[in-house]
Amino acid sequence: MRFIRFFLKRLVHSLFVIWGVVTVVFFLRFLTPGDPTTALVSPDAGQDVRDALREELRLDEPIYIQYFEYLTDLMVGDFGNSMDVLDRPVTEWIFSAYLIRSVELALAATFVAVVIAIPLGVISARRRHQPADYSATLFSLFGISTPNFWLGIMLIIIVAVPVGFIPTGNPGPLFYQALGDAVTQGNFGGLWDWLRHIFLPAITLGTYFTALITRLTRSGMLEEIGKPYVKACHAKGLPETLTLYKHVLRNTLIPIITILGLQLGTLIGGAIVTEVVFEWNGLGQLLIDRISSRDWTMIQGIIIVIGVSFVVINTIVDILYAYLDPQVIDQ
Amino acid sequence: MISDRVKASLKREFKTSRMAQLGLILVLLVIIVATFAPFFALHDPTEQRIGTGDGVDDDDAGVIGDNGVEEDDDDDIDPGDIDDADEADEAESTDRTDVPPLSPIPGHQFVGETEEIQRVDHEDGTFDIEIVETEVNADRAFPLGTNTVGQDIYSRIVYGARISMLVGILGAGLAALVGVPYGLAAGYFGGRLDDGLMRGADVMLAFPSLVLAIALVGVFRDSGFHTTQLPDPFVLAAQSDTVPNVLIPRADHVAAMPESITFPVTVTLVVALVNWVWFARIARGEAISIRTEEYVKAARSLGASHTRILRQHVLPNAITPIIVLATIQVAFIILLEAALSFLGFSGTNLTWGADVESGRGDLATSWWISTMPGIAIVIAVIGVNLIGDWLRDALDPGIEGESGGM
Repeated sequence: MRFIRFFLKRLVHSLFVIWGVVTVVFFLRFLTPGDPTTALVSPDAGQDVRDALREELRLDEPIYIQYFEYLTDLMVGDFGNSMDVLDRPVTEWIFSAYLIRSVELALAATFVAVVIAIPLGVISARRRHQPADYSATLFSLFGISTPNFWLGIMLIIIVAVPVGFIPTGNPGPLFYQALGDAVTQGNFGGLWDWLRHIFLPAITLGTYFTALITRLTRSGMLEEIGKPYVKACHAKGLPETLTLYKHVLRNTLIPIITILGLQLGTLIGGAIVTEVVFEWNGLGQLLIDRISSRDWTMIQGIIIVIGVSFVVINTIVDILYAYLDPQVIDQ
Repeated sequence: MISDRVKASLKREFKTSRMAQLGLILVLLVIIVATFAPFFALHDPTEQRIGTGDGVDDDDAGVIGDNGVEEDDDDDIDPGDIDDADEADEAESTDRTDVPPLSPIPGHQFVGETEEIQRVDHEDGTFDIEIVETEVNADRAFPLGTNTVGQDIYSRIVYGARISMLVGILGAGLAALVGVPYGLAAGYFGGRLDDGLMRGADVMLAFPSLVLAIALVGVFRDSGFHTTQLPDPFVLAAQSDTVPNVLIPRADHVAAMPESITFPVTVTLVVALVNWVWFARIARGEAISIRTEEYVKAARSLGASHTRILRQHVLPNAITPIIVLATIQVAFIILLEAALSFLGFSGTNLTWGADVESGRGDLATSWWISTMPGIAIVIAVIGVNLIGDWLRDALDPGIEGESGGM
């Protein structure tokens, strides 16, 4: 019962935040100085062309009507049409290979981060003040201090240019297509192609997270190791590795997951820059392109999709967390 | 505002921690270089050298003003060595744009090597253009090489430090100025006000900083306050007669440096606008625990106003985690500014991020153009992060990972 109440409360809160996100994004556009049609028509176009465009974009109506219409359109999944030359619905642009590529990149980076960071954090905590710990600490210090666009460029110079078979610009095939080829036709070339394309971008985007999780795991483990239950495990004769990975790590992970939820924005922000460096053609690159061409319906659509997925993921994390550890409901 | 106990703790931690000492050295280094940039720079950071005579002597170089910086008098513009005299006049009168005169060879070079274009005049009035490779004593002239338009990378890094540090410190300061009162009020008064204020903060948190920053720069860049020119007091003093030049070391050198730097106002406001919410979160948490303390109740019963209590009692007791957060935020904002200028949303080219970008076209041949400014970013951010670690270890506010991000 308490869980259900928490669940509903969290849901209402998330809906409020989503509404807030949409509202902020809508009014952002009205802060832009000048006539929004200026960027869209050729400089020598007459006033009648502009007026027609204004009417088509419903820019002449009062702002609250425009706001209301925007909200009602969003409810049915209508983000409007792209204001760029290619006058396609925004949703068609976003929910396409662009979104899939961005999600693939984010997942690959998270995979890299988790696979490297958690063992590194555990080793670092276990061998505190030994060379292994110092190397891990130094690595994570560099990791959180290196701008990822520069890291990507360094990887291109150091790895991609000398090695040769790792591409640096343009994304490879989509994972599900490559996997489909491998399963149905036994053709693993697509998977290899996918892997060599995503390898450097995933490391570039994942390094900050690897460093952050290493730091968090290390400090969390050190805090847990002092607790009585660890002594009890030792006294029981449990091997140290088992104690660390099964008991201590599990207790450390829960707060880490919450912080990672908060830091998801960093992953998304980092993805934008990474996509630009590797010409990845994901949502981030699309956003940057459209900012340059002042395609506001697209910009709004992309930011709303990013903001909403951020809120949804955090809500899911919170609810799972409350389900696994009911103590947090009281906090 | 900072108690003796805290000071003692800071001192103890500093003495035992090599990393803290290193952090302070790095940050002081960057701040000193940024402040006294005209003394550290070897060349005017905006001066371009296209198809230069010898790559070292400035007089032979084609000098073109960079964007954002006032161009020098027309007399300084040399259209390049390959132009015929008549063509030169023509170029000077008609083609006075920011585009440097075309040269078959970009001016970039790294330490010790340069390709130069020589004009060999024959007796019958014709001439040939020859490309000659020469070794120059470039390690003194351009210690970190030059970029694609022949600008000295070292001098650009020295000047870029100014933008990074100014935006980092001002941005974090502004964010604290907004976020701390907001969070303190929410936590101290609680109830409906707290709910309302923190819902607003939650909406802000739903936007990844960089995404919101890009959108805001996109909104504001068309209006006038994108950048402003900050005059450089050292250069002005060296140029004027009011200050005796003997007081300024290498006055002639300093006087030749840019008179002002282009400061990205919009970017500073935007990074503050996307990061204040982290200050609000921390300040609120502190205020919630402080408001039930005895001394707050005592002050209240003595008739002190809420404003007075917030200023005199709550803020001083909440200040330690805020200071730690501010330090970490400076590091985040330096990275954020670098990312924005890398993406071309800064309004000035003389920043580390933009310099990393400028080398992206030549990674296979000229690795140093992108590499060098990036090393500067890493040094500055590591320095600030080490100071943040030192403060956190000494003061222990336990805010790791909840302190912002890109």
